[in-house]
Amino acid sequence: MAIEINKSLIGKEYPPYAVTVERGKIKEFARALGDANPLYLDDRVGGASEWGDIIAPPTFSITFRDENADTGAFLRELGTDISRILHGEQEFEIFRPLQPGLTYLCRPKIVDIYEKTGRSGPMAFVVRETSIADGSNEIVATMRGVTVVRL
Amino acid sequence: MKYARVYFDDVKVGDELPPLVKGPVQQIQLTRYAGASGDFNPIHQDDEFARAAGMGGVFAHGMLSMGFVGQAVTDWSGAGAVRKLGVRFAALVRLKDVVTCRGRVIGKSSKDDVNLVELEVWAENQRSEKVVTGRATVVLPSR
Repeated sequence: MAIEINKSLIGKEYPPYAVTVERGKIKEFARALGDANPLYLDDRVGGASEWGDIIAPPTFSITFRDENADTGAFLRELGTDISRILHGEQEFEIFRPLQPGLTYLCRPKIVDIYEKTGRSGPMAFVVRETSIADGSNEIVATMRGVTVVRL
Repeated sequence: MKYARVYFDDVKVGDELPPLVKGPVQQIQLTRYAGASGDFNPIHQDDEFARAAGMGGVFAHGMLSMGFVGQAVTDWSGAGAVRKLGVRFAALVRLKDVVTCRGRVIGKSSKDDVNLVELEVWAENQRSEKVVTGRATVVLPSR
C-alpha cells in the first residue's frame, strides 16, 4: 500500500537554531571532498586573503543541523523513514562566505510538498528552505533542498 | 594553472571550465564524507541496508557529487566567488564510478559594480551519463 505523505507540514517553520562554525570542521569537510584549496585549509592564506581568514566551501552549510532536532521523528511526522528518501535537488545562495568562529542563526521551513509519478513509481517531493543569518541578523546564505520520498 | 585569477573581462559566453575528474569513488570517501557532513544515512555505508531499501547497493551522497561540482567551479573562479550553486541529482553515483565535473559560461551581467557570470554545470560518470546537472553564478573581479 502506498504511503500517505503529510502535506499539512507545508508552511511549517521549525525552531531557529544557532551553529558556530569550527575551523577544523571546514578543513575536514574540504578534505572529505578531496578539495585542497588553500583558502579552505591554510590559515595563513586565509588570513592574507580579502576574507581575513579561511572560508568554507560553497556546500558547507549542508552540515548545519539542529542538534536538538530528531531526524527520525521528523521523517515519521512526514510519513516515511530514512530508507525511502533520496536527495532530489539542492541549491545554495551565498552572499558572504561562511567563516570559522562565527555563529549563524538558521531558520528552516517546509515551503512545499507535492506528488508526482516517475519511472520508478509514485514519489513525494518535500521542499525545505533554510535562511542563515550572521550575528547582526543579516542573511548571509540560504539553502533550498528537495527530498524525494519513494511512496 | 590551478587557482589562477580569472577576470570578468576575459570571460566569454561559451567558455568551458577545465574538467575536474574525481574518483574512482571509494567506500572510505563516503565514510569520510558522512563524518564531515553529519549525514550518516546507512544507505551510503551499509550495502545490505541499501539492498534491502531497494537501491541495489551503496551509492554516494548526492552532496558529495555536488561538492565535486562546487570544486570544479571554485578551481576556476576562486574560492569565495560562488554566489549561487543549484543542482538536480540526475543519477546515482556508485562505488568505483569516476565523476567528471564540467561547466560552461552561459551569460554575463554587471549590476551595481558587481560582475556576475552564469554557468551551466554538470557532472558525468565514466559512461558519459549525467549524474548532476545545474547552474552556478559566480562574482568575478574586473581588470
